[in-house]
Amino acid sequence: MHDTKPEITISFGPCLPIAAMGLLLSGCVGRQSALAPAGHDAEQISNLFWVMTAGASIIWALVLGTALAATLGLFKNPTRLTPNILIVGGGVVFPTVILGILLIFGLRLLPNWQSEPDRLQIHVHGEQWWWRVVYRAPDQIEPVISANEIHLPAGQAVEFVLTSADVIHSFWIPSIGGKLDMIPGRTTRLLLEATRPGVYRGVCAEYCGTSHAKMAFAVVVHEPKDFNAWLEDRTSDPNIGTDDPGRKIFLSSGCAACHRIRGLTEIGSVGPDLSHIGSRRTIGAGIAENTPKNLARWITDPAHMKPAVQMPAYRALPPEDIAAIARFLSNLN
Amino acid sequence: MTNHLQKEVKRETGEGTDLWRVILAPTIWAVHFLVCYVGAAIYCEKAGRMADLLPVRLIVGTATFIALAGLAAVFISLWKVRGLSSVNDDYNYAGNTPEERHRFLSHVALMLCVLSGVAILYAAFPALVLEVCR
Repeated sequence: MHDTKPEITISFGPCLPIAAMGLLLSGCVGRQSALAPAGHDAEQISNLFWVMTAGASIIWALVLGTALAATLGLFKNPTRLTPNILIVGGGVVFPTVILGILLIFGLRLLPNWQSEPDRLQIHVHGEQWWWRVVYRAPDQIEPVISANEIHLPAGQAVEFVLTSADVIHSFWIPSIGGKLDMIPGRTTRLLLEATRPGVYRGVCAEYCGTSHAKMAFAVVVHEPKDFNAWLEDRTSDPNIGTDDPGRKIFLSSGCAACHRIRGLTEIGSVGPDLSHIGSRRTIGAGIAENTPKNLARWITDPAHMKPAVQMPAYRALPPEDIAAIARFLSNLN
Repeated sequence: MTNHLQKEVKRETGEGTDLWRVILAPTIWAVHFLVCYVGAAIYCEKAGRMADLLPVRLIVGTATFIALAGLAAVFISLWKVRGLSSVNDDYNYAGNTPEERHRFLSHVALMLCVLSGVAILYAAFPALVLEVCR
């Protein structure tokens, strides 16, 4: 005698919409979402999005409702004027008024450039595929040079001065504000005000070549006093261990030809500035966590982590030398 | 049907296929657009990024006033044709006569007049909001 197992049918059908909704909503949170605003402009964009979504839904329902009503013959005894009212009202007056309201609403969201107080300027220069970052505070004589990570004070408007070295890039921190193109030969300016301290993610939003998708950066928003302390700290040299073996290998392997380390070697400017790299959250312009292991991977073969990158591979160096350089860099803070 | 058409022909709506009447309103729109944008571009290039936009706003305001007055004149003349022609059931421009063509083109020009008016207002809106060249 055979046991007949009861047939169990599991239907995932009803779960699918819920799962899809979950996936969709997961895009609304996190460090890189325009719908989870942490900045003045992002809040406006988010509000605009919800207002337009609601408005578009109402108009969509009205148009389809009218079409459905007409199809089902619900318009009883239409007069000769009915189509004219619908065409002139729905086709001319309604869109004109709605678009006019949206135009004025949109224009009012433009930043106020009229007053130009002494404010913090952050110059960001887009290059394939990383970000050169220079901070110029009003009361600061020497600019602070950094790369691939941006620090901001909460509650203060910061002026981004955007340029590009090669192709068109687009500078975008979705959680903090709108994006703006970086155009070779031109300077564009963006005014952003972060409102909530935290760590966010910025990206290049314009296709700029092979590793465009690997051109990102971390954004750290501090309380104003913490930001001032951070900036002050960056005006001084990093802790460089004079007897660190990695330091010697860094210099003898030619790394300094392209990379600057404040207080150690100031000639290289082809690649990202490495002063205080140990304190950065990511390496390779936002593509990997900043750990000695990842740094060693990067030095060994950067193109493996970021295709077509300009930095050559240092496979020829003994692994222990690479590890020593990675440790040396990790300690620069 | 024949009687119907004949009745329309008898109404004096004028005749002719004067294309100038059709493109007059869009031409006013185009000239207004160029005056506003080219004027602002030249002024801001000369005066610098932080220059006050007041002179441009005055130019845009004046240009908008003149353009809308021109459009109003065109509109009134076209409305007269419409007034003469839309007494009865004659939105179907079926007759192949100079009068019918004239009425049809006048109707098209009237619509373009409305469109141009909206476009002129939209082009002038930024002057109400922007205060400096930047």
